[in-house]
Amino acid sequence: MKFEWFIASRYLRSRRKQSFISIISIISIGGVALGVATVILVIAVLDGVEHGLKDRFLSNEAHVALHIFDHSFFKDYQERIQRIEAIENVVAASPVVFAQIGVFPEHSNTIQDVIYIKGIDPAQEDEVTGFSTYVTGSTDFQNSELIEKAAFIRDETIAGGIILGGRLATRLGAMKGDVLRLLIKLVDIGTGSLTPDLANFVVIGFYESEMEAYDSNFGFIHIDTAQKLYNQQNRVNFIFVRLTDAELAPQIATKIEDAADFSVLEGMPNARTWMEAQAALFSALQLEKIATVIIEALIILVASFNIASTLIMTVMEKTKDVGTLRTLGASRGNIMRIFMIQGSVIGTLGTMIGTGLGLSICWLLSTNTERPSYWYILALVVPIVLQFLMASRHALRSKGGWKFAVGVLWLIGVGFALYCAVRPISLVDLGLSQIYQTHQLPIKINWVFVIFINLLSFVICWFATLYPAWQAANLKPVEALQHE
Amino acid sequence: MSNRSETLIRIVDLHKSYYDGESELRVLQGIDLEIKTSELLAVIGASGVGKSTLLHIMGTLDRPTAGQVLYGDQDVFTMPEAELARFRNQEVGFVFQFHHLLPEFNALENVAMAALITTPSNKAIYKEAAALLEYVGLAERLSHYPSQLSGGERQRVAIARALINKPKVVLADEPTGNLDRRSSEAVHELLWDLNAKSGQTFVIVTHNSELAEQVDRVVKLADGKVVL
Ligand SMILES: Nc1ncnc2c1ncn2[C@@H]1O[C@H](COP(=O)(O)OP(=O)(O)O)[C@@H](O)[C@H]1O
Ligand SMILES: [Mg+2]
Repeated sequence: MKFEWFIASRYLRSRRKQSFISIISIISIGGVALGVATVILVIAVLDGVEHGLKDRFLSNEAHVALHIFDHSFFKDYQERIQRIEAIENVVAASPVVFAQIGVFPEHSNTIQDVIYIKGIDPAQEDEVTGFSTYVTGSTDFQNSELIEKAAFIRDETIAGGIILGGRLATRLGAMKGDVLRLLIKLVDIGTGSLTPDLANFVVIGFYESEMEAYDSNFGFIHIDTAQKLYNQQNRVNFIFVRLTDAELAPQIATKIEDAADFSVLEGMPNARTWMEAQAALFSALQLEKIATVIIEALIILVASFNIASTLIMTVMEKTKDVGTLRTLGASRGNIMRIFMIQGSVIGTLGTMIGTGLGLSICWLLSTNTERPSYWYILALVVPIVLQFLMASRHALRSKGGWKFAVGVLWLIGVGFALYCAVRPISLVDLGLSQIYQTHQLPIKINWVFVIFINLLSFVICWFATLYPAWQAANLKPVEALQHE
Repeated sequence: MSNRSETLIRIVDLHKSYYDGESELRVLQGIDLEIKTSELLAVIGASGVGKSTLLHIMGTLDRPTAGQVLYGDQDVFTMPEAELARFRNQEVGFVFQFHHLLPEFNALENVAMAALITTPSNKAIYKEAAALLEYVGLAERLSHYPSQLSGGERQRVAIARALINKPKVVLADEPTGNLDRRSSEAVHELLWDLNAKSGQTFVIVTHNSELAEQVDRVVKLADGKVVL
């Protein structure tokens, strides 16, 4: 192999002695590097979004929601909860009255909004969804100062306090202490027309989980109040369960159904996992990831065509040399290996540089540090670059150490410019804030995938070398010699 | 020095035709030739008669349509490809009308090339290559690239290159065909000297009548046959 390396390494260099590597090799290496870097970056972002979503989503979401198929109320829920909490890997369970409800603005008879209401026991709910950690304001639904004040001022019967999702509150224009009128049901008053049965609630706090589904659609009231309003004393229609590990939900869901032990009269139980509830979102993410991998494989494929065409060009350019080498006694194998080494070096360098680049950009995007502003780039980098340009005009003509030093300084300069230029991307800018309210672009590097992409890139590049190398090896010595 | 009467290469009833669709171009039509060890042989003949073709086949770069080329008792075209490459590397040196030096390598590396194919790079090879370059009068040009050398210098590098593995035979195809008179004479001197000193066999295709007069034997090709 020594001999083949000797020839191939010389062919990778440019003809003119000044530069270390030929432009054509640089373009091929760049093609592979770009392909690999984008795959790593895009997949890291997609993984990050999914992981972040899951994390955030699961922090205030029950892992399993138990109910009867038609959402009807059932009794003995505390006993059922005790049995469910006895199941292995269940952390806690919480009884909930779950309903959809119309909101009336004050002094109006038209529904302003339809929201979801969770009637909860704050202590039990905390164990399952960490309820109170997301609330600003009071979580005391019955005895808040605000309630007394509202009752006093308005001189109305107040059913209790309500905690509104933050965005919902903004939409309704509801402030702390405001009274909200909720439509419990429509009552037939005998004349054939229906009249709304309304209850007044005082806004005592806001729920801000950064999960859009909750923050703009949910209101929380006390379980006792909810039971009273619906006339369902000692009954609930949902039990929410938290597990030690969210991934266990499918196995444990059936055990929960069994433990609840509903009679035939009560109805068919259904323990719904968080995966089922959010199937659409996560399968969309999955699909997106698969599509990305395919697209990226195509990018690398294009890069490998680049390698192949580079090699075919070199083979054409070196046809005469191949003839000469054959007269000197190089075998077909020797010739084949010369060109395969060339392609493999391009593929390997491209993959390595691409991996480095992809991981660095991932790192840059994920670090939350404040970076020098764009003006610093101009102020610092422009003079540096100009100086390098002038220095390199001399240095590139000279040799060895100087050239290397200028190269390194250049790289540092460019690296710093990149460091300043790439700042953490806000999801708000990306228009993703609707489903995922955070300001940091989530990045998660899947090392197994990085290794996989590296191997894939090596293999594709290696295959790209086969045809041109084979073509070179099969040149007829005499014809190659006479090639012009 | 080996025995002059010993036969080194025997060419037996050699035919070579080129086919272009239906038509057959019969270039060599039954060449019989014996070349002795240490002989300095000139091959002459009109342009297009097949001198280069003969030389390529002798050097195993091309295969005959029929007939044999024997080195000693060995019919070279029965050897598999890899062995043939090895044979070329060890036993045959080529010099062409055009120098065919590798442009990316300097004179020293070009001369060492044939040795590097089979032997890992070492000092001894480069010492030998330097000695050869010194012998052809280019001691000061070791690190020059082909583009930095004159036509005559290039051709002398090419001769040095053909000698690195001490081949039994050097095949030269119009080695001075592209050179001016003075460079040609220098190259000729070199070839005589080499032949006299090393006892290697030289087969030289030439148009140069001066050269043809100074060799051991002249072989003339006409109509695909040896006529002289
Ligand atoms: N690869 C080839 N295909 C077809 N014809 C060829 C080929 N090589 C040589 N010839 C023909 O064979 C003849 C002999 O060529 P060559 O050996 O180069 O002649 P010389 O060296 O004596 O001038 C010429 O007529 C040439 O056109
Ligand atoms: Mg010729």
